[in-house]
Amino acid sequence: MRCAEVRETIPAFAGEGEPSLATRRHIAKCPGCRGELETYRTMLASLQSLESRPVDAPVGLAAKLIAIPREASRVDHVRSHVSRNRAAYAGGAAATVAVVGAAGALLWRNRERSSGSRRATKGWLATA
Amino acid sequence: MEATHREVYSLCLRILRDPDDAAEATQDAYLKAWRALGAFRGDAMFTTWMYRVAANSAISKQRKRKRKREHEVGTDDDVMSQLPSTASTEALAGARIELEAVESALQLLPEHYRAALVLRDVYGMSMDEVAKQLKITETAAKVRVHRGRKKLKELVTMEQDE
Repeated sequence: MRCAEVRETIPAFAGEGEPSLATRRHIAKCPGCRGELETYRTMLASLQSLESRPVDAPVGLAAKLIAIPREASRVDHVRSHVSRNRAAYAGGAAATVAVVGAAGALLWRNRERSSGSRRATKGWLATA
Repeated sequence: MEATHREVYSLCLRILRDPDDAAEATQDAYLKAWRALGAFRGDAMFTTWMYRVAANSAISKQRKRKRKREHEVGTDDDVMSQLPSTASTEALAGARIELEAVESALQLLPEHYRAALVLRDVYGMSMDEVAKQLKITETAAKVRVHRGRKKLKELVTMEQDE
């Protein structure tokens, strides 16, 4: 087995699993590949130890987290209120749309009527 | 909450790199956890369960961020293009690896490798769990972890060389 083939598999078995017998034999007699395996194992051990080294959280984050249940309760309360009264809210919204639509239609009709009468007056004046 | 928030924030920061994003992901994780407390069966440690919820929040945030800042994708490639060739790092095999060097090299890894490595090698999640969190197949998760370790080793040895 060649060093390049062995080194390609080292990242996998350095963390989990077992190398093949041929790989184990190669590593036993190759100081370069043994060193490479050792490097990976040390690196993985360092990675594992990071879990027990938490970084400092920003100031104020803990206070925000403590407020979460209160804030979430408020949001949940509003949500459940809306979902319980969904029909009433939908009816209200539909009525609002209808009123606004009717008002718009009335306005449009009045505008059309007044511009029509202006056109008629202009036409009469022109013929006279 | 007081007992675990530093660990949860650290996990989010190690995945996201940005302190503001990590703080947001932490808040999101605790909100989800608070709402899903009923689903916590108690057969696993609370911290382990919390790590899963936090990883989920951080990875969702990472995905949203990626979609939002597509133009920044090149940043990771720039970092990788600065790496020395494998041949030159091989000479450093067996070098002592400093914890700080590993921590800072982890921050230089491209996002997809970093998330896989943080979940698998820092927080000890199973490949199956890593795959679920990243929404990829178990084989793809293994490939990411494998390549991530190789890139990390290159970065670590490069840093120690400087």
